[in-house]
Amino acid sequence: MNNLIVLPLLLPLLSAIILVFLRKQVAVQRSISGISALLNIVIAVILVGQIQSDGIQTLYMGGWIPPYGIVFVADMFAGLLILTASVVGAACIFYSFSSIGEERERMYFYPLVQFLLAGVYGSFLTGDLFNLFVCFEVMLISSYALIVLGGSKRQLRESIKYMLVNILSSALFVTAVAYLYGALGTLNMAHLSQRVAEAGQGGMLNVIAILLMIVFSLKAGLFLFFWLPGSYAAPPAAIRALFAALLTKVGVYALVRTFSLIFYHDPAVTHTWLGWMAGATMVLGSIGAIAYRNVSSILNYQVVIGIGFIGLGLAIATQAAWDGVVFYLMHDMLAKVLLFILGGMLITAAGTEKLLEIRGLIDRYPLIGWLFLGTTLALVGIPPLSGFPGKVMLIRSAFQEQAFVLAAIGLISSFFVLYSLIVVFKQAFWGSELDQEPRTTVPPRSKLLNGTILAVFALLVFLGVNAEWVYEFVAQAGHVIAEPDLYIHAVMKE
Amino acid sequence: MELVMAITTGLLFAVAVYLILSRSVLRIILGTSLLTHGVHLLIMNMAGLKRGSAPLISEDTMSYTDPLPQALILTSIVINFGVTAFFLVLAYRANQTLGTDDLEKLRGGDENE
Amino acid sequence: MSLLHVAVFIPFLFSAGLLVSRKFLESMHRGWLALPVPILLFVFFLWHIPQVQETPIIHAASWIPSLGITITFNLDGLSLLFALLISGIGLLVVLYSIYYLDEEKKDQQRFYAYLLLFMGAMLGVVLSDNLLVLYAFWEITSIASFLLIAYWYERERSQYGALKSMLITVFGGLAMFAGFILLYVMTGTFSIREIISQVDNITGHSLILPALILVLLGAFTKSAQFPFHIWLPDAMEAPTPVSAYLHSATMVKAGLYLVARCSPIFAMQAQWFWIVSIGGLITLIYGSLKAVRQTDLKALLAYSTISQLGLIMCLLGLGSAAGLQTSTATSLFFAQATTAGLFHLFNHAVFKGALFMVVGIVDHETGTRDLRKLGGLIRIMPVTFTIASIGAFSMAGLPPFGGFLSKEMFFTSVLNIRELNMWSLESWGVLIPVLAWIASVFTFMYSIILLVRTFGGKYDKERYHNKPHEASIGLLVSPTVLASLALAIGLFPALPATWLIEPAMTSVHPHLLTPGEHFHIHIRMWHGWTTEVWMTAALIAIGALLVILYKKRGWVLSGSGEKARFTLNRLYDKTLEGSEYASEKLTSLYMNGSIRQYLIYIFMFFVIALSTTMLALPVFTLDFSDHAPIDGYELAAIVALGLAALAVPLSQNRIASILLTGAVGYMVTLLFVLFRAPDLALTQLIVETVSVVLFLLCFKHLPKLKKENVKISFKMTNALIAAAVGIVVTFIALGVSSGHDIKSISDYFIKESYHLAGGKNMVNVILVDFRGFDTMLEVVVLGIASLGIYALVKLRVEDRGDQTSKLDTNRLAGFVGKRPFNSNDVILMTAARIIIFIIVLFSINLFFAGHNAPGGGFIGGLLTAAAIILFAIAFGMDAVKRVLPVNYRTMTGIGLLIAVLTGAGSFLFKAPFLSHSFGHFQLPILGETELATAVIFDLGVYLSVIGVTLTIILSVGRER
Repeated sequence: MNNLIVLPLLLPLLSAIILVFLRKQVAVQRSISGISALLNIVIAVILVGQIQSDGIQTLYMGGWIPPYGIVFVADMFAGLLILTASVVGAACIFYSFSSIGEERERMYFYPLVQFLLAGVYGSFLTGDLFNLFVCFEVMLISSYALIVLGGSKRQLRESIKYMLVNILSSALFVTAVAYLYGALGTLNMAHLSQRVAEAGQGGMLNVIAILLMIVFSLKAGLFLFFWLPGSYAAPPAAIRALFAALLTKVGVYALVRTFSLIFYHDPAVTHTWLGWMAGATMVLGSIGAIAYRNVSSILNYQVVIGIGFIGLGLAIATQAAWDGVVFYLMHDMLAKVLLFILGGMLITAAGTEKLLEIRGLIDRYPLIGWLFLGTTLALVGIPPLSGFPGKVMLIRSAFQEQAFVLAAIGLISSFFVLYSLIVVFKQAFWGSELDQEPRTTVPPRSKLLNGTILAVFALLVFLGVNAEWVYEFVAQAGHVIAEPDLYIHAVMKE
Repeated sequence: MELVMAITTGLLFAVAVYLILSRSVLRIILGTSLLTHGVHLLIMNMAGLKRGSAPLISEDTMSYTDPLPQALILTSIVINFGVTAFFLVLAYRANQTLGTDDLEKLRGGDENE
Repeated sequence: MSLLHVAVFIPFLFSAGLLVSRKFLESMHRGWLALPVPILLFVFFLWHIPQVQETPIIHAASWIPSLGITITFNLDGLSLLFALLISGIGLLVVLYSIYYLDEEKKDQQRFYAYLLLFMGAMLGVVLSDNLLVLYAFWEITSIASFLLIAYWYERERSQYGALKSMLITVFGGLAMFAGFILLYVMTGTFSIREIISQVDNITGHSLILPALILVLLGAFTKSAQFPFHIWLPDAMEAPTPVSAYLHSATMVKAGLYLVARCSPIFAMQAQWFWIVSIGGLITLIYGSLKAVRQTDLKALLAYSTISQLGLIMCLLGLGSAAGLQTSTATSLFFAQATTAGLFHLFNHAVFKGALFMVVGIVDHETGTRDLRKLGGLIRIMPVTFTIASIGAFSMAGLPPFGGFLSKEMFFTSVLNIRELNMWSLESWGVLIPVLAWIASVFTFMYSIILLVRTFGGKYDKERYHNKPHEASIGLLVSPTVLASLALAIGLFPALPATWLIEPAMTSVHPHLLTPGEHFHIHIRMWHGWTTEVWMTAALIAIGALLVILYKKRGWVLSGSGEKARFTLNRLYDKTLEGSEYASEKLTSLYMNGSIRQYLIYIFMFFVIALSTTMLALPVFTLDFSDHAPIDGYELAAIVALGLAALAVPLSQNRIASILLTGAVGYMVTLLFVLFRAPDLALTQLIVETVSVVLFLLCFKHLPKLKKENVKISFKMTNALIAAAVGIVVTFIALGVSSGHDIKSISDYFIKESYHLAGGKNMVNVILVDFRGFDTMLEVVVLGIASLGIYALVKLRVEDRGDQTSKLDTNRLAGFVGKRPFNSNDVILMTAARIIIFIIVLFSINLFFAGHNAPGGGFIGGLLTAAAIILFAIAFGMDAVKRVLPVNYRTMTGIGLLIAVLTGAGSFLFKAPFLSHSFGHFQLPILGETELATAVIFDLGVYLSVIGVTLTIILSVGRER
């Protein structure tokens, strides 16, 4: 038992509740949420350290042994994702200081963000399927509140769609849980895995597996991403960045767990579906990315492409592929949050998201411009930036498994990433600025913010340049994913 | 019993989906609550029905119905209460600001070009 | 790390240093800060020549060994040749640029930072032994070139050129990357040397051809081979020193380097020979034809570069024929082509560098590069003219310059290829020399045109805005050096041959040598009256003739250049526009913002995916053996449920449909009772009630449900999909519940809940103890919902939301809702008081009973809330505020805090999170009560539920 591993969830939860009482004191709210975000990074670092030295950590909630009680499980995969997510969270919180605006800050913006983070960490940590649903709900309800926070026309319109889709997927999630309970009579993931192994995955279990795939794909935006571009365009940039970097990734995490830990016996059925979905996602995402001359929709389709690319690894599902998935997930979360923060700053600076009305910002905003270019290159997978190692692992594993078409689509999609984003860079930052009256309040020029984006970019460089060092951790994560028994034994120590 | 319940669940799902696919926000919300009812009955059904007396420990009863699904449903009911409430208010704010409750009129997408 | 690594990374360091150098040394020209780098490198590589003669120098440093990526640098003959070009020409270009960019005060440091970035990357490309490291540096060169082409980034043309070159070269890079991965899949290594060492295993491998093509895609795009050449002319938007350095001398030769480097791997494949040779030949002819028609000096040079690159590529291809030979003798015979290629590569770098610098000077002095304007400069700038003529003659292949020698060798090679007794080359192979010759004629022509039209003719000052004069010494130094080099090579070819070409040959044709052996290359000016000599003579004669005719006609073809450059670029532009247009259409087609559409996609996917999986099942058994019996009440309830549900979509009245949904809820409650689930029944009952109230509250303000006058097809689709979903759900349910007997974990709860958790009500025990964590979070969800609702009702930001926003009060005022419930009914009021009192008592009782009998914190709380709501119904929302002046959001907060802290409390006892303990106590009124810490937890639940429910109801109800 190790109470440390509930802290990533507990800290944001408590800070959120405390922040509720401090609704009016914006300054205090800021400092508290900032500090707790940083603390969370520290906790995550310690946690990852422990996992590296002592292997998988578990905590039986209320001391009830699995499979009866709820258990928290921190393997390296979860640890790394929590670490990355905590960095993302901190970045978004710091960004919101200078961008979100007093009114929202007085309307429980910070508590909601902390609640959302709690839900995300919980989803990464829980080892119980129904508890996963509950954590999802914590995350989702906060996201509903955040996406509509402010109540502008566009927000209201898109929130309804966003909520409807997620209510549906949650209902299906519970349906799947019901079926699973009916078939296997348990909820603990490790126990489920054992019982699937006993019962044999053929038959109805495959059907349930597919149902879970649909549920999590809806969350992840894997193929079923129709809801994503519209709704992610609605809220303020800070919230957008948070969503783009975190929410879909939770869905991806769930997919990885389900199809590596529980339903890994019949890849012919499950992983074939995943392969097709990944391919389609990349293709449609790439097409969407060059379809519009609108900064936020271009960025939103980057999220879709990224998910598709990770889906590729999900479909290949070899040890090498899992390594790739883990590495690429970390890279993608960091790169996406930076991309969206920069995109938000860009939009604020230009006062519009219509690309054709933006010109020559580089003279006034060199930092934004160069970081945007850098992030683009990282996303394309240009070495030595963070996108490169994960891309190599994924593409290589695809080739090794003879999945040439998928690999080709993956490479081509990265070309579309380059094209769509480099056009934004060229259009928005080069050329001579249109002399127009500044359409908005002055763009954020806070030292903290500049520090934040520089720090995140530094991380992108670090992930690429020190890939070997990072890989030690990634490999440990990939190993556990590839060997379900390790996870099971850690949870069900008989 | 289970067979009948399975069919009933299916029926609830069907009606819910039908409502969710309609244009008026109100119908859609009603659809979602029917959906949750369906899901809850499904959980009940999956655990097997009437396999004993109510899960309240007393000396003279030997067998109880499975308590776990009931706990799950209870949690789900609570969560759905919160979600539905939020959805309701959202719909009502949207209607109030956008002046319609017809989702087909709320396509938007004007941001793109 | 080794000196070699230092050498490669020094430029990067300086590049970074320059960017920050903005602060100090304001006065000084940044060029002087950059200059030491190439000098240092040049000396360094010169100093290594003798050593490399013997054996290549190899140093490894690790990067990602786990992925087989190590930064291994391999300085062999080929690398050295390139390294010297990169550092040498780099040195001259930097020196030249210092005077060329003299007025570019603004951001010189940017220029030199990019330039050094490129220099380092390019060195990396030619030194890396590891394919992926090579790829890394390769992409960086593309980026550096992108930034340099767009150095004047406010110009449209620069942006266009930069983007074009980036897209094409990076595309090639990605293809090459894929090729490298394929090579790894075949050989298990990224090291070029190791791949070569096991080349026999991979020849004939099914993946070798794809790999070959992909790698060549990289090479051809980078070296501007037809049809990928289109980016190079547009790259001429870059400052001339850049064009001289990247786009003629070095970067565009990276493709050639790659081909040379990889031919030991691929040369056994006939396809390699064909693609490379033919591709090169086409490019050679195409480029020379185009060059003749250019009116812009740089455009002319660009096309001549393309054609010359084609020539070298072709030679490398012909040389790879050696790989197809069995006997060493014949191999050596064909390998001469490679020698010619490498030698010409060297010459071209020299004379083309000189010519670009000359053009730069002309541009700099006269302010124009337009051949139609230029002319007669010979008297004004004699030195420049001398340099230009040396460069041009060398390019045209006239003695006694280096270009002549390599052209002769080129002729030799194309003549030789006829003797390659395969594919009946002996018969039609004669075509190749003919084509080569024609190309050379045009090469001669554009060289002469360049010279004559710029410097020849009579000078009239009217044509130039600023009065031209001879360039400053600074500008002349570098081109002079290159020109004299071009001459020197012509006179003493042995030097480069022995010191540079021979070692380079060793790396391209390792198989032709036994260890320790050397190539022996003799390049002579005169071989006697060979075919080559006659070909040269003829081409000079014809070429001269053509030039004269050409001039007579007043350079008719000139100016047609623009029109001629049309087609392929058009293709490129149209492809981009077209694909953007198409994708816009396609995406808008399915991403039309209609949530109904999206839901239909989702449901369809749901139905298809699940039904296909089910149909694919080997067996689909349904057995109802262990199904429970069904009695009348149940059936009645179920029927009622079904009817109520079906009635909802039919009803056109909003209140009715709400109540019908409520009815469904109550039926479900009834079923819960029948299914022995008292807690559920209770909860469902209250939740249903509260929800109905909420529904009515909200939908007071919604428009009436108008009869949805929609097409029948609309309803049919909905009905169809709905039915399909329903059926799928039912079948899965039946399938799952059929035929398995895995024991559920819940027996444990049945056994243990009293002993271990001290509660008789298992459901409640599970909720607060076994799965207390769920409950904690579930209450959190409620809390969030209430906060969200509060914010949703209170906060209205009208603008796009990225900017600071203000609370819009008049909108609030704009919406006038009557006090939702306002009743003066005396009976109701009195009744309410009593009922409320009872309910509250009851709720408290329920709360405490919870652990053992149906009830618990949630139900208790909800009931209390219901009571207060009833109060509100009776006396209006404001009355509630007056009687119970509580901030319900704070209440929620406190509740949550209690719940979470009870859980965290167990930290103090070193127990796992949410551990509980319990004991039995005597309480007044309630009698013997068993109290567990779980009860404190439940208290939190109780409070927050009250808080939440009232926050919701009040924020909606009091909103106006």
